[in-house]
Amino acid sequence: MAEPEFLLDSNIRLWVVLPIVFITFLVGVIRHYVSILLQSDKKLTLEQVSDSQVLIRSRILRENGKYIPKQSFLMRKFYFNNQEDGFFKNTKRKVVPPSPMTDPSMLTDMMKGNVTNVLPMILIGGWINWTFSGFVTTKVPFPLTLRFKPMLQQGIELLSLDASWVSSASWYFLNVFGLRSMYSLILGQDNGADQSRIMQEQMSGAAMAMPADTNKAFKAEWEALELTDHQWALENIEEELMSRELDLDGMFSKELPMGIF
Amino acid sequence: MSFLYCLNPEKHKLRKWREDNHRNSEQIVDVGEELINEHASKLGDDIWIIYEQVMIAALDCSRDDLAWTCLQELKRQFPGSQRVKRLAGMRLEALEKYEDANKQYDSILQDDPTNTAARKRKISILKAQGKSAEAIRELNEYLEQFVGDQEAWHELSELYINEHDYGKAAFCLEELMMTNPHNHLYCEQYAEVKYTQGGLENLELSRKYFAQALKLNNRNMRALFGLYMSASHIAASPKVNATVKKANVKYATWATNQINRAYQLAGRGTKENKCSVKAVEEMLESITMS
Repeated sequence: MAEPEFLLDSNIRLWVVLPIVFITFLVGVIRHYVSILLQSDKKLTLEQVSDSQVLIRSRILRENGKYIPKQSFLMRKFYFNNQEDGFFKNTKRKVVPPSPMTDPSMLTDMMKGNVTNVLPMILIGGWINWTFSGFVTTKVPFPLTLRFKPMLQQGIELLSLDASWVSSASWYFLNVFGLRSMYSLILGQDNGADQSRIMQEQMSGAAMAMPADTNKAFKAEWEALELTDHQWALENIEEELMSRELDLDGMFSKELPMGIF
Repeated sequence: MSFLYCLNPEKHKLRKWREDNHRNSEQIVDVGEELINEHASKLGDDIWIIYEQVMIAALDCSRDDLAWTCLQELKRQFPGSQRVKRLAGMRLEALEKYEDANKQYDSILQDDPTNTAARKRKISILKAQGKSAEAIRELNEYLEQFVGDQEAWHELSELYINEHDYGKAAFCLEELMMTNPHNHLYCEQYAEVKYTQGGLENLELSRKYFAQALKLNNRNMRALFGLYMSASHIAASPKVNATVKKANVKYATWATNQINRAYQLAGRGTKENKCSVKAVEEMLESITMS
């Protein structure tokens, strides 16, 4: 907490804070439209669709198997996991590891991803740092330790300045993440300007749609299914049901003609 | 001259019917035809999906003229679209030109083997032609590829029930119960299939699933009656031992009480309903074993 409260020139507000907000927002919108233009059609093969659905079915069997009779559950588990001809044991998919070198479409996808997202951020961040340097832009409302100073106060060489006062570059990065909800409002869900979503996707997408992992996914499902036991949810259903009277509220609406029997 | 805000209730109605998958084709045709003919220019881009909705409803009502108009507009706007091709195929089906419809769907599948809509239409052609055995076979093959398609599992269970193959129908319903554990209607249908199959084990299963349906929805009268019937059947069977019989009689009595309560609730006030209540009581007494 700073003892002397700084009073920033209101020109800073007019010429720095607001322009950075506008720039970030407009760049985001432009990114969205560019990503739409550059979108490539992803064609899924029948096998991939089928495999993903099989994996989903097996997962549902594990999670909700307790709602079907024991015999049925065992029948399905046997179908998947049987030693001789179980689906997961026997099905081997032709594995083509989609490394960027061999698979040209993945390469272009990666490049497009980088171009539309990372590159603009770096460029504009650097430009803002260069243009709007030498002064403090804003103050974050919570106290920060001194370790944050070199990161947030690039270009301001004051040793005694509180770490809460930040430069324009950090205001820019704050905006990049903060304007996400504005993008959803204006561009609708699932827009190309949503950077953190894209970064999340890059991390989890590697775990999801990779065909190389189909065999591994099958093996993982096999193990998980082996471990699953059947705990029938309907074991004592009658006792549970009959422990109290049925709740028949609202069953017969007064507007209905009563002669429905 | 109608103003823009007058359109909104109509548009909302159509959208609600579309999202809830209602099949009230005559109403859709009425509302949609008026919207298309009078206010086409004011609908903007919504008009295309309205064309699709109205076209399918028009096919249901045998309004070939309206269906043809909608199809032409859609073809003009989206010339290479597979969705439009499917609609063209549906129109051919409605005109009973099954060969041409099949060719249309085959061409869609050549372009895109993962297109599920075309496959399902081919199966419905078989069903319309009455070839249920082939329809069942095709549907089985379809489900081998697309195990997750719940609509298809339900259709298959219906086909099996029509063929009286209750074991396989039960299998399909089990798939549905697993994916929708809180849907009381699937539980109830499964219980009915098990009850129809007969045999002590199946009757017990059906009683349990009727109970589950009731637990999920206390007001499911069919399940309540089903519970009563299955419990009394088990109690009446000569093969059960005394404890089981006693338990089932208890269940049946509980069910009877609930049924009576429900009918009392329904019969409040009106004189005619007092007769219904009495009729139900007599029916229950006649079925009950002493």
